[in-house]
Amino acid sequence: MPTVSVKWQKELFPAVEIDTSQAPYVFKCQLYDLTGVPPERQKIMVKGGLLKDDADWSTLGVKEGQKLMMMGTADEIVKAPEKGPVFVEDLPEEEQVVTMGHTAGLFNLGNTCYMNSTIQCLHSVPELKSTLIKYPQSGRSNDLDQSSHLLTVATRDLFNELDRNVKPVAPMQFWMVLRKKYPQFGQLHNGSFMQQDAEECWTQLLYTLSQSLRSSSSSENPDTVKALFGIELVSRVHCEESGEESSEAESVYALKCHISHEVNHLHEGLKHGLKSELEKASPSLGRSAIYLKDSRINGLPRYLTIQFVRFFWKRESNQKAKILRKVDYPLELDVYDLCSEDLRKQLEAPRQVCTLPSALMNLSCSLYFIGHLPFLFAWSFQFQHPNYKILRDEEGRKLGLKTSDKSSGSMDTAVKKACCRGIIKWRWRII
Amino acid sequence: MAPDPNKSASGSGTTRDETTVKVPSKDPKKKDEKKDEDLSDEDLALKQQLELYVERVQDSDPGLQKVALESMRQEIRTSTSSMTSVPKPLKFLRPHYGTLKSYYETMADSDLKKLLADILSVLALTMSAEGERESLKYRLLGSEGDIGSWGHEYVRNLAGEIAQEYAKRQSEEASVKDLMELAQQIVAFHMKHNAEPEAVDLLMEVEDLDLLVEHVDSTNYKRTCLYLTSAARYLPGPDDMLVLDIAYMIYLKFEEYPSALQIALFLDNMQYVKQVFTSCDDLLRKKQFCYILARHGITFELDEEMAADDEDREALQEIINNTKLSEGYLTLARDIEVMEPKSPEDIYKAHLLDGRASAGASVDSARQNLAATFVNAFVNAGFGQDKLMTVPSEASSGVSSGNWLFKNKEHGKASAAASLGMILLWDVDSGLAQIDKYFHSNDSHVIAGALLGVGIVNCGIKNDCDPALALLAEYIDRDDSSIRIGAIMGLGIAYAGAQSEQIRRKLTPILGDTKAPLDVIAFTAISLGLVYVGSCNEEVAQAIIFALMDRSESELGEPLSRLLPLGLGLLYLGKQESVEATTEVSKTFNEKIRKYCDMTLLSCAYAGTGNVLKVQHLLGQCEQHLEKDATHQGAAVLGLAMVAMAEDLGLEMELRSMEHLLQYGEQNIRRAVPLALGLLCISNPKVNVMDTLSRLSHDTDTDVAMAAIISLGLIGAGTNNARIAGMLRNLSSYYYKEASLLFCVRIAQGLVHLGKGLLTLAPYHSEHFLLSPTALAGIVTLLHACLDMKAIILGKYHYVLYFLVLAMQPRMLMTVDENLKPLSVPVRVGQAVDVVGQAGRPKTITGFQTHSTPVLLAAGDRAELATEKYIPLSPILEGFVILKENPEYREDH
Repeated sequence: MPTVSVKWQKELFPAVEIDTSQAPYVFKCQLYDLTGVPPERQKIMVKGGLLKDDADWSTLGVKEGQKLMMMGTADEIVKAPEKGPVFVEDLPEEEQVVTMGHTAGLFNLGNTCYMNSTIQCLHSVPELKSTLIKYPQSGRSNDLDQSSHLLTVATRDLFNELDRNVKPVAPMQFWMVLRKKYPQFGQLHNGSFMQQDAEECWTQLLYTLSQSLRSSSSSENPDTVKALFGIELVSRVHCEESGEESSEAESVYALKCHISHEVNHLHEGLKHGLKSELEKASPSLGRSAIYLKDSRINGLPRYLTIQFVRFFWKRESNQKAKILRKVDYPLELDVYDLCSEDLRKQLEAPRQVCTLPSALMNLSCSLYFIGHLPFLFAWSFQFQHPNYKILRDEEGRKLGLKTSDKSSGSMDTAVKKACCRGIIKWRWRII
Repeated sequence: MAPDPNKSASGSGTTRDETTVKVPSKDPKKKDEKKDEDLSDEDLALKQQLELYVERVQDSDPGLQKVALESMRQEIRTSTSSMTSVPKPLKFLRPHYGTLKSYYETMADSDLKKLLADILSVLALTMSAEGERESLKYRLLGSEGDIGSWGHEYVRNLAGEIAQEYAKRQSEEASVKDLMELAQQIVAFHMKHNAEPEAVDLLMEVEDLDLLVEHVDSTNYKRTCLYLTSAARYLPGPDDMLVLDIAYMIYLKFEEYPSALQIALFLDNMQYVKQVFTSCDDLLRKKQFCYILARHGITFELDEEMAADDEDREALQEIINNTKLSEGYLTLARDIEVMEPKSPEDIYKAHLLDGRASAGASVDSARQNLAATFVNAFVNAGFGQDKLMTVPSEASSGVSSGNWLFKNKEHGKASAAASLGMILLWDVDSGLAQIDKYFHSNDSHVIAGALLGVGIVNCGIKNDCDPALALLAEYIDRDDSSIRIGAIMGLGIAYAGAQSEQIRRKLTPILGDTKAPLDVIAFTAISLGLVYVGSCNEEVAQAIIFALMDRSESELGEPLSRLLPLGLGLLYLGKQESVEATTEVSKTFNEKIRKYCDMTLLSCAYAGTGNVLKVQHLLGQCEQHLEKDATHQGAAVLGLAMVAMAEDLGLEMELRSMEHLLQYGEQNIRRAVPLALGLLCISNPKVNVMDTLSRLSHDTDTDVAMAAIISLGLIGAGTNNARIAGMLRNLSSYYYKEASLLFCVRIAQGLVHLGKGLLTLAPYHSEHFLLSPTALAGIVTLLHACLDMKAIILGKYHYVLYFLVLAMQPRMLMTVDENLKPLSVPVRVGQAVDVVGQAGRPKTITGFQTHSTPVLLAAGDRAELATEKYIPLSPILEGFVILKENPEYREDH
């Protein structure tokens, strides 16, 4: 009857007697008393392998004082949970959209980055999307021309397609319609389509949409685009020479950020853009004189569009030139001091009351374009009274949706959104 | 006699009476005249004096001749002290060299003639035309007196001429006896005068290094051996082996056993290792030897001759078996206070990125969870606790280990279960206990993972009970191939380098099984390669060769088939010519695999040798622009890194040629270059390599980008390098949409924080002298798998990442007392300085800081004790070092 020591985990059981006349199962039962590990879960290492329940001790050659090692636990056996987790990779494509936290990108059809970024920007405005969805396929009102109607339908379809897909979409149909409506986008240069200004595309598309959506009878809001993007301005027109002063009101779709050598910051550029000089006939002087026009924001839209005026006409070379000056933009944009007295008064209350930290701005870096294309960073700002904050995509989407829910409730007046857009950076990327 | 009219006109000032010796007007050159103008009085006097001697030497009176010669010799000897310029007497005698030479020829043999020969020999130092070796010629004709009396410069010159003469006579097969006598004198002189490198150089030239042994003494043997060992790296075979042999003998002679052991390990000569053990009879020192062997990662059985006492032998064997490695590592971790487990999120540090990457995924992504599994395993490697796998099931958080396991999909579960082995690395007892529960699972992937986990836990640890073999052997013949692979790979990792006959008998039949699927065969070949790494075992080689021949052409085209030649190559790791027979056989292989096999065998056989010819050969393979069948070029690029990683100079050159390959190479070469860079600088984040890889990580070719990202992880492995961590963080946001690239970024992040910065993957240790074959084998296996990232790592064989465990070692200095208990002492840690061949006793480290042990050592760091109180038993302070109290130490107040 040899005596062995058994090592189990960090414990050592010295002097365990083996009854060599019995099957090893008996020995295992002995160990069960010591360790609490049921015999069928015990693994005992002997020379050349594991100790089998029916092995013969004599062939194993266990020596007196030998150290055996036992493995095994009384732990619960790991069982797979009844309902395994669902993995993104297993989901159908449409559902991956939600989980991936981004929507599909757009193929570049050859210098169509301006168009793609415009679509991406507009696509991220949920109110516009919801209005578009209601746009009827056929019900064209009479004051709308055919091509505008087709463009609106194409926009709607493209938006739908973007929502449905994870993989990049080729906006073929839309592009064709766009060129039909605005032939300038179809200009060719050396046999390929020319680079275009995104601002132009934005303006034209917005104009078309405002036209068609206004006329669409199904919309409860008669002028959706204006409600979303229109900026009310009041301007004081003042003539230095004569001291004449008048005021006028207008509605625009974008604020201009003028870039001159003293502009380092978006805010300065906006201030700059709201002041202009114009020459007109002065009734008191009887000749044309220089008037100063000083505009203020009188009504803020949900999405504030800002154009970085990066192109100017170089008179000496008769060329369009690009201003490459770096203009800093804040993640939160406060336009309070650009507002008129009236609007300020309106805003004063929520400014003090509202301490909600959830002022929002949605930065949609249009990284989604796949293919040979430059990609364009465009910003759309959402804000809760004039404090704007940029959020990156996913958060923006999540919080954005949340806020829009809220905004339909009591906070409605305080919550305004703005969209600002600017071409910041071009990068080429081949995938 | 009046001085030369020309000279008196020189206006150098006064002339003296005693200098009125008529100089034979031997058309003094214009140049000499010019020089004379600047001569001071004393110099002029000396010059004229010497001219007088020259005159008298040619006198017919032998007495006068002798006096003149002796005075001339006196003059020369007393002025050789100057090192900066040609000694004055030599300069002044220059014009008379020809005179004396021709006079010498006319002399009859006599002592005087010998005396003159001596002088001529010295004069030849500055006069002799290139290649004439007149200094040596006259030396041999001369009186053979004390060689050193003519000054150091003379001896050096002579040594140089001997080397040339030796080579000439060798080619003419003439006798070199006289040269050897002279060489012996010179060596003796050099060795006495701190010029060991010169002595060694001369002896290497005359191919008689054995002479060195009798000339070394306790004051100069260290410098001599240091020079020998570092010179060996640049010598062609078999000279390098010879040089190291001599160094080994010298170390043994002076009882510098640890150094002798290191050389024995470098030579991979077990006979020598044994000799070290038998020569030494101090138990404590033997324990230190065992620590060195354990770090090198070889299997070594002590016998009675090496340690007579049973109990002692058991204690020693325990050290070799690495049973206490886990304990030491945890002591280090506690000392550095990094025991707290880290979750993958702690590593990703997504909060440092603005927004985008922190997509709060509501649905699990299997790939991202798998990445988290690996990150978790790498970061918490060896700590025994983590936040995903080892959480007790009753934990209120609800994230019990079972839950995390099942957050992985299919084969992902195998890696998850195996990650437990990584977390409990080296701690066999608790490791097996924790893995046990997975054996009873009914999911074959989980069982496969558990089997692999057992292998990982046992990596580098030997245990008498052989638990890994006992547990895994049962499973290698199961039907389910994932279980088979788990068991086979587990065996390979657990017994790497063990050369175990038992395992060979179990595994070789699988290779012969024609029905076995390719992946099982491939992993079997690798496991056998690991177990028999560097053994040149013929039977294993045969088995793999037959397996290769049995594969159909389509099978050989599969990505995993590359593991078969690699398994074959590993058998010859570092064995140089021994591979040749197998290379011949490989020529008969199917052409799909032939070249790949060729490259792999070559690169493995010459891995870590720095052999320039092989580097050239491999570069030659890379410069071809092949249209198809170019997969072997990837292996060739990796081979370049394997061969050139041996020493710093070759490494730098290799980094340069990699840059060229990037620019001019085909795409499949470009894909391998980042991996090669990763191997060259593994766990050694050189800034230039980091920049190159960072650039490549944005490459338009995703394969290049993926390889570069993984390599960023490799070069930063275990360093916590903040710059790489930042780069990877940015990459994680750059690639947040590309699941496979993001996976690579995550893996790299896990590698950078390997063992929370306590581990290294560098296969080189002991001050970059020794190369651990198992460590290199592990890394190379992973790199070959990375050559086809998409099919292997991003496919279902991601667990090949666990091959890295073979290279994982704590990068620590742990000092222990005579009872092997940790002992904290102050040490200076700084950048190592190359002191080979430097005069005096230069500082070996620079820019050091003083710490208390245990302490971490970065790549290129060296430590030295900052106290006299203890004496380390190993000259190289790395890993475990036993300290002995210094009997001569006195506490000063």
